[in-house]
Amino acid sequence: MPRNAAEWTERPRFPRTHYVDARIYTDENIFREEQEKIFARTWILACHESELAKAYDYRTFRHPSGQNLVLVRGDDDRVRAFYNICPHRGNTLVNAPAGSARTLTCVFHAWTFDCRGDCTGISRRKEGFQDRLESARVGLRAVRTERGAGGFYWVNLSDDSVPLQDSLAGSLGVIEPYLSEPLEVFHYQKVRIRANYKLWHDTNSEFYHDFVHYFNRITGMQQPGYFGRKYETFPNGHASVGSMRVRYDQYEGGADRIGWPGLEAGGWFLVDLFPGMTFNLRTSVLRIDTAIPIAPNEVVVELRGLGLRKDTPEQRALRVRDHNAIWGPFGRNLHEDFLAVTGQGVSLRDDRTDARWLLHGREEASTIHDEVGMRHFYAEWSRRMGRPASDPFAEGDGE
Amino acid sequence: MRTAVEELVYRSCLLLDAHDFPAFLDLCTDDFRYTVEAHAPEIRRAMVWLDHDKAGMKALFENLPRHFSDPSPLTRHATVYTVTFEAGGGRASVVTALQVFRTVLDGGTSSLFAVGKLYDTVVVTDGRVALARRVVKLDTRDLGIGSHVPF
Repeated sequence: MPRNAAEWTERPRFPRTHYVDARIYTDENIFREEQEKIFARTWILACHESELAKAYDYRTFRHPSGQNLVLVRGDDDRVRAFYNICPHRGNTLVNAPAGSARTLTCVFHAWTFDCRGDCTGISRRKEGFQDRLESARVGLRAVRTERGAGGFYWVNLSDDSVPLQDSLAGSLGVIEPYLSEPLEVFHYQKVRIRANYKLWHDTNSEFYHDFVHYFNRITGMQQPGYFGRKYETFPNGHASVGSMRVRYDQYEGGADRIGWPGLEAGGWFLVDLFPGMTFNLRTSVLRIDTAIPIAPNEVVVELRGLGLRKDTPEQRALRVRDHNAIWGPFGRNLHEDFLAVTGQGVSLRDDRTDARWLLHGREEASTIHDEVGMRHFYAEWSRRMGRPASDPFAEGDGE
Repeated sequence: MRTAVEELVYRSCLLLDAHDFPAFLDLCTDDFRYTVEAHAPEIRRAMVWLDHDKAGMKALFENLPRHFSDPSPLTRHATVYTVTFEAGGGRASVVTALQVFRTVLDGGTSSLFAVGKLYDTVVVTDGRVALARRVVKLDTRDLGIGSHVPF
């Protein structure tokens, strides 16, 4: 039965852990608060070691909290991260997204910095600063950096956060056994869409949207065991989904996949990491998503596809083909996921949002179409933000 | 013959615009191969985003109606820059500038979707031209929601 205005805005008759106030996707103040309370204090995946393989290689990263960073592999092989800004006059230090340089030179006034963040040169220093400015006081702002499973580099803007492994709380355990071989990024794409970052992560955190994917319906949902897979939740808002066998041969042009060391044919593991990263190992390719929120209704999704560094050209070509069939820009699933999420972005565009509540109330013993993954995310979100996602403005008591 | 080659390229765009995929494949040789490539400065690496032979393209096209896709029409604007015939004239390399525009159904607003170039190989047999190889090299890498329909 259609509902009138009062009914439409009536609080859902669910526990308040089972729905959210839609304004958490649109409110500017909440967005800023998320950047400060969540992103600035959380380990965020910045890049993979293959993106800065040699000493002096660098890689820029737009941090979800808003800061522009640059990661640099030092002459001691250690990867460090810094704010990508010259301490002199605030110019962007490194402009290219990746490259190699023994010295990072600000083009504005030619101040120079080494791969360890030390200021090594101030042009015409004696003439202008005399003895009033020491190089040691104008080094780069260092950001905590750790290498994690699979060779990924993580950064944390907070100097007092727990170590990366404590933060991950074992959530990558299901996938780590398959990340022992050196990996290499072969696909990288930044996609800017009009939607809140949480909506993208929500989609990665629930399989109920299988229905939007013809591919999943054919290769997954009709296969034995598909609905029996279980979500496992971990501290700090992370969740994983166990493997099943995907029948790619059920989709024309989808057979003969190359596989992944140790993974059963057609195997599939997925780990969602709070607040916006996903590890997705599916038969022959590891896909990594990193959501970079730009505004309440705008997110850049960094998409990486990885294979094995030891791949022969022929093996790599097969892996790339497998990746593209599902997750490439012209692939079957990616376009469908983006269509669904941008559809949400149209409805949940600003404070005049068409919807007041979004539900995640499915309970199926934590199996694949249970929405426990999203509930677990919003429990952590509520803890970090100091208020429930279902009542972010303390307007109602809920159940 | 240059005119015939140019018209082949333009016709291929018109047929893809019109979603007349069987007619597009009829323009191609049996050993036709289609590839979409892009270079990622972020990983300092060339990427392949799509790579199919004629049978693979046929399967891709036939699966399109089964998928949830953006219904916004894509319009290809192509300008053939160079046509270089091999000695003997049996084969030509063609470089074409390509822009792809997307027009939303509600209101009909058009926007630029992608920029790149087509690198085609055209074979000439008994005065007839056919597309043997197409490499789409995209400058645009942020394709937003993406597309199920190749360029």
